Amino acid sequence: MSEQHGFMKALKCRECGREYPLTATHVCEFDFGPLEVAYDYERIKKSLTREAIASRPKTMWRYRELLPIAGEPTVGKQVGFTPLVKADRLAKKLGIRELYIKNDAVNYPTLSFKDRVVSVALSRAKELGFETVACASTGNLANSVAANAASAGLKSYVFIPSDLEQGKILNSLIYGANVIAIKGHYDEVNRLCAEIAGKFGWAFVNVNMRPYYAEGSKSMAYEIAEQLGWKLPDHTIVPMASGSLLTKIHKGYQELTKLGLVSAHNTHIHGAQATGCSPISVAQKAGLDFFKPVKPDTIAKSLAIGTPADGFYALKVMRETAAYADDVSDDEIRDAIKLLAETEGIFAETAGGVTVGVAKKLIASGKIPKDSSAVICVTGNGLKTLDAVNGYCGKPREIKPSLREFEALLAHEEKVGV
Amino acid sequence: MAAKKKIIVTKPNAPVQQRLWLMYPPKLIKKPFIYEVGHKFKVVTNIRQASVTDEIGIVCLELDGPRSEVAAAIKWLEKNKVNVEPVEIGVIAG
Repeated sequence: MSEQHGFMKALKCRECGREYPLTATHVCEFDFGPLEVAYDYERIKKSLTREAIASRPKTMWRYRELLPIAGEPTVGKQVGFTPLVKADRLAKKLGIRELYIKNDAVNYPTLSFKDRVVSVALSRAKELGFETVACASTGNLANSVAANAASAGLKSYVFIPSDLEQGKILNSLIYGANVIAIKGHYDEVNRLCAEIAGKFGWAFVNVNMRPYYAEGSKSMAYEIAEQLGWKLPDHTIVPMASGSLLTKIHKGYQELTKLGLVSAHNTHIHGAQATGCSPISVAQKAGLDFFKPVKPDTIAKSLAIGTPADGFYALKVMRETAAYADDVSDDEIRDAIKLLAETEGIFAETAGGVTVGVAKKLIASGKIPKDSSAVICVTGNGLKTLDAVNGYCGKPREIKPSLREFEALLAHEEKVGV
Repeated sequence: MAAKKKIIVTKPNAPVQQRLWLMYPPKLIKKPFIYEVGHKFKVVTNIRQASVTDEIGIVCLELDGPRSEVAAAIKWLEKNKVNVEPVEIGVIAG
């Protein structure tokens, strides 16, 4: 392992291929294309074997050669290796042979897949000498930055739109983060945060640290493959906000194949959005290779990005893997959250309802064949979006503390068929 | 103890450089917005990437000039229904 850079080689522009040093920088100076981490796969192949992985702790860092840090992880050492649940009851309902839920609703410490990307970004930020980290977020990312920064002893700034719900604000304030609410339209808040990131020289996780941050998502793909017994599934259904997770799951599967850890497999990576914010899904269905920006209006707030940064690349991956995108309405999202909870005992946030709902559509339409295997990615916990299902799950039936009254209730319900 | 870094307050006429994606809806694709921005405001426009189809016009533009002029140029573009995002796009995540 190189003393300075671990298994990383350089930052590389996704558009023109120009290389840059492994610093906190994110766009190519020439064409402003996004930068991505390039690795030395020859050296990784010698170090990262199935046996080596099996001997390591069950966290996402068991694949550390493929994650962009130079030394050992220092932030979020317990993150990842979430359960891959064989979902037989849900499979039966959806009419598919083999179905799994990759359950990041129980990721450590803040119950969403964001802990993966944040622990990578903050570990790298510490290596690069940063003492202050920051992000702009409407929910999961803010919680994860606040919690992981607190445990690492880093100072954190979290920027939020001023109209955010109280519950979400508390989830960041509790960790002692500096929470700054910005009044204004989404576009204005977005531009201000880009400017703040440029001026203050902090580690802004999804701005100047983005090349490192985004790579953390690949760990979900490695875990899926290992938990399936070092195989790739026929189909993976991924929620799309910026589209980054979908492209990184693809990169993760490709890397495992390149390293010989899994056999080459014709795997399809499908994208899921909410109808109220579906720029990528609409473009995929129309056969376009670009998206048109939209103004989000959906209960799936964690996916509500109207101008998705990686939309173009997500469309490319879906084309290359012969996959589809689809979207579901708010009512379909709630129904899917309930279906997942009632069949598998997993309470997902709205984004999970989106992926389950879209999986249901793709299976029903034959785009995902009934005799195949599929993995549905659930990226956040339902406890975070209680408002979305409040009033849609029925009510408790109230009785007096009397056995006779309880028996009468049961008899009544039997009669009316509850 | 390390000396505390002093925050320098940005003045309205301080020179800034902003890197932006402009997205034009189809009916505005033929409009010479970038030329107009260069004339109406004291900003230097520098196109770094562009893709124009029947469906959408996308331009990656660098704007250089006094802060207040750059801000006014962005406001004017938005008033004309051009979508303006920082080159980072989607800084606010879920």
